[in-house]
Amino acid sequence: MNQQVSITINSRRYVHEVPLRTLLVDFIREHAGLTGTHIGCGPEGRCGACTVLLNGEAIKSCLVLAVQADGGEVLTVEGLEELSGEDGQLHAIQDAFWECHGLQCGYCTPGMLMTSFDVLASREKGEKELTDDAVRHCLVGNICRCTGYSHIVDAVRLAAERLEAMPEDQRRSCLAAHHVEEAQR
Amino acid sequence: MTATQPTTITGSSWVGRPLKRKEDARLLRGEGQYIADITLPRMLHLHFVRSTQAHARLRSVDLSKALAVPGVVAGFTGQNLLSHGMREFLIPSVLPQLAGELRVPPSLPLAVDKVVFHGEPIAVLLAEDRYALEDANELVEIEYEPLPVVIDPEQALDPAATRVYDDWPDNVLYREKMGNDASEAFAEAEIVVEERFHVPRTGCSPMETRGAVAEWSEHSGLTLRTTTQRPHILRLAISEILDIPEHRVRVIVPKEQGGQFGTKAPLFREDIVISLVAKLAKKPVRWIETREEHFRAGIGQERGQVHYLQVAAKKDGTILGIRDRCIGDVGDGTQGIYLGFVYPYLGCAYLPSLYKVPQVEIDLICVATNKPSLTPSRAFGGLPTRFAMDRIVDLLARKLGLDPVAVRRQNLITEFPYVTPTMLFYDSGDYVGGFDKAVETIDLAELRRQQAELREQGRYIGIGTGVGIEISGVSSMMFVALENEPGFGAATVKVSPSGKVLVLHGDAPGGQSHETTVAQVLADEFGLTPDDVMLEYGDTWTTPFGSGTVGNRMSSYTISAVVLAARELKTKIATVAAHDLDIDAPPEEFHLTGGDVVWDKDSEKRIALSAVARHLIMAPINLPAGMDAGLEHTAYYEPASDIPAMFGANFHATVVEVDPNTGEFEILRYVVVEDCGKQINPLVIEGQTQGGTVMGIGNAVYEEFVYDDQGVLQTSALTDYLMPSAADVPHIESTDHSVPSPHNPLGTKGKGEGTPGPVPGALANAIDDALTPFGVTLTDLPLRPEKIWGAIQKAKPSITDR
Repeated sequence: MNQQVSITINSRRYVHEVPLRTLLVDFIREHAGLTGTHIGCGPEGRCGACTVLLNGEAIKSCLVLAVQADGGEVLTVEGLEELSGEDGQLHAIQDAFWECHGLQCGYCTPGMLMTSFDVLASREKGEKELTDDAVRHCLVGNICRCTGYSHIVDAVRLAAERLEAMPEDQRRSCLAAHHVEEAQR
Repeated sequence: MTATQPTTITGSSWVGRPLKRKEDARLLRGEGQYIADITLPRMLHLHFVRSTQAHARLRSVDLSKALAVPGVVAGFTGQNLLSHGMREFLIPSVLPQLAGELRVPPSLPLAVDKVVFHGEPIAVLLAEDRYALEDANELVEIEYEPLPVVIDPEQALDPAATRVYDDWPDNVLYREKMGNDASEAFAEAEIVVEERFHVPRTGCSPMETRGAVAEWSEHSGLTLRTTTQRPHILRLAISEILDIPEHRVRVIVPKEQGGQFGTKAPLFREDIVISLVAKLAKKPVRWIETREEHFRAGIGQERGQVHYLQVAAKKDGTILGIRDRCIGDVGDGTQGIYLGFVYPYLGCAYLPSLYKVPQVEIDLICVATNKPSLTPSRAFGGLPTRFAMDRIVDLLARKLGLDPVAVRRQNLITEFPYVTPTMLFYDSGDYVGGFDKAVETIDLAELRRQQAELREQGRYIGIGTGVGIEISGVSSMMFVALENEPGFGAATVKVSPSGKVLVLHGDAPGGQSHETTVAQVLADEFGLTPDDVMLEYGDTWTTPFGSGTVGNRMSSYTISAVVLAARELKTKIATVAAHDLDIDAPPEEFHLTGGDVVWDKDSEKRIALSAVARHLIMAPINLPAGMDAGLEHTAYYEPASDIPAMFGANFHATVVEVDPNTGEFEILRYVVVEDCGKQINPLVIEGQTQGGTVMGIGNAVYEEFVYDDQGVLQTSALTDYLMPSAADVPHIESTDHSVPSPHNPLGTKGKGEGTPGPVPGALANAIDDALTPFGVTLTDLPLRPEKIWGAIQKAKPSITDR
């Protein structure tokens, strides 16, 4: 059985008729052609390589059906750069991962970036410094086999520092795909 | 630094800098191209139907209902493929040539008469729609006649045990007596310590599973894009096995691979089947392995060794010799190049590790069981042997009432080169210096003080150390004998008319930072920046032959070939520069810097590298007498013929705290000192060291492949096979103690392949040390709380002893 689904991904609308059982990750990769989001497990929601933002919240797109995201807004790794607000400039999180060597094979990286985005976007300006321990706990849902995690933790903390140091309106627009509505959480 | 600005750092030395990687520009944007991202027009999806029995005769395989599912276009059973040219793939050229007795198992890529492991491929289905394949799989009807299942390798050795292969006299796939005779050592011994160690199947599954896209055309033959670490080797094997002329087989690795760690090195059934099916389908065919399939096929299942190890020593702790009986659980052994047994084989060769052990006597028995063949993982057979050896050194020390750290240190090799009784040639290193650095970094003296203090408060911390050699490439001398293939590093370096450089090598990176490290090296050689250097790789049509991304080859062998090719070109460049500048001086009097070729004696006399390149390529007239046009060169590197191998090393030290009430433990600190000859990029080295160590922690503590007594894998998903997350492991402190190798142009050695090896020994040593008051000896991995708690209970005097 098929259904027509309309999903906005990185500010662009994709409308397709898909079987009801189509996973959101497959919609993103195959129907929208955005292959930056990866599959690394069952899919069973364990590895985190498929992490994207749906309506402002980090979710594992292998555990969500495309029909559940109908009418919704998705942010994937391909959409990060344009949030930086400057032409040719990567997002603060991407830059931090780059400088800290927070990736080797790159397969878990999109998921790591999106989870990190979610973590940083959930912080208020002026919140106390993110500790190593706190970052590690935020990343339990994202498995990496290459890095051993230390450089990823460094990257998230560096990104937090840089975002904190930005003027508030710039920081907000960097993290604009995320709106924390307390009532929904 | 932004994505689009070129590197602005100037200077003459790029090697040794923690430079940001070139690869990351695309990977951070989600623009990396992995195998699952490749789609071709008219492409069909392929699914492997796999056995649901661990040992059974196949009475019938009926695809008719499956083929009726909408979207499914074709299917082939093993029987069908036999009539289309499928034949056994373990032909002589893909078999290792070792000194022991090898029985070669039957090797049809799709089973026809019998299956010998749960997950063995039986049939393939092709569909236009990937989801339809899952529906179709449910409708395949297979009639099995189950046979008794043999799971435990030691039980499989029993003469009455069921045979995995009907016509074999027993279940031994490979047997060899390795090393030399240790009788003198044991006769002279003042103490003998013996123990049984067991490391179950565990290993280095990466985040990306396997996959392949195959297409066939009449005009160019087979093009196979696949997740392989060894494209040139695979191409030759497929050409021979499927009887396709070599020039009509092309293997291309995807631009990215999501981790390999050895798992993508063997010659696998699936690549052969998909190549054959692509020809029959007359359309491109793509297979992407699922995670469950990956685990059931045995990918990432390595280790699987039992060691009965004895050490003979003097009372002062000096080791005289070791004797080992190793039983390897190799599974079905039906795997090209390694047959599941080369891992325990090499692991046993690594057994003496960094220790001076003059007599090493090993009885290696590799046993077939109803499981998939072992597959490679980092440390390549050496994790169980490092565990056993590092443990027995600690046990020896404890029995003698000596400090294990001191006994470890006093037995380390101090003179180089050193040849082990297992024929491993250690070319250079400073093992005592590296070990001392690890011990110093962790501050052993202070820890001992804390340990004593905490014990009085009823808290138990412990210190453990472990060491390991790490292979750095494999010479032709070893590889021709082992695998019928060369070991040389090879690279083509081409300078373009605009003075930029393209490098080609025939291997297949999957996260090891080849693009960046090659660019750093060549930027130094040619006086350019890393932005001026590009790397292409892994296409068998365009790259020089490479034995693959295995055994740390890149940073020892392949990078050396890059340097040799560059230096050959520099002589030509300097000769033309002298000619064009009208200076009568030999090429040695010129150096390359800032994009120019400059005369040492007068820096005003200079010419742009691009001008020299344009002269040689676009306007090759008025050249020096006898000089050819063009500016490219392919070089091959091997160390000198009396240097069969090069080895790096790792030195590990860790502190843990154990709760004796639960058996749980926490790693408080983990220090690794690594020797990689010379660091090209310290960030990359640190990343390799941290990643490898965390993988070792995973293997030692969290990960285990568990089979039930019917041969069904119980840990077939990431929910059960527990790869550690960031919260499960500590920060790994990595320090460098590199001793340049005298045998290659840069002095480099590879790094990362062997890093997981010393981890279990270091951790178990630390836990035992913490629990000294309880008298616990840990000999089995993984180090689970219930095992530790159980060992504490067992060591307590029983109630009936009173």
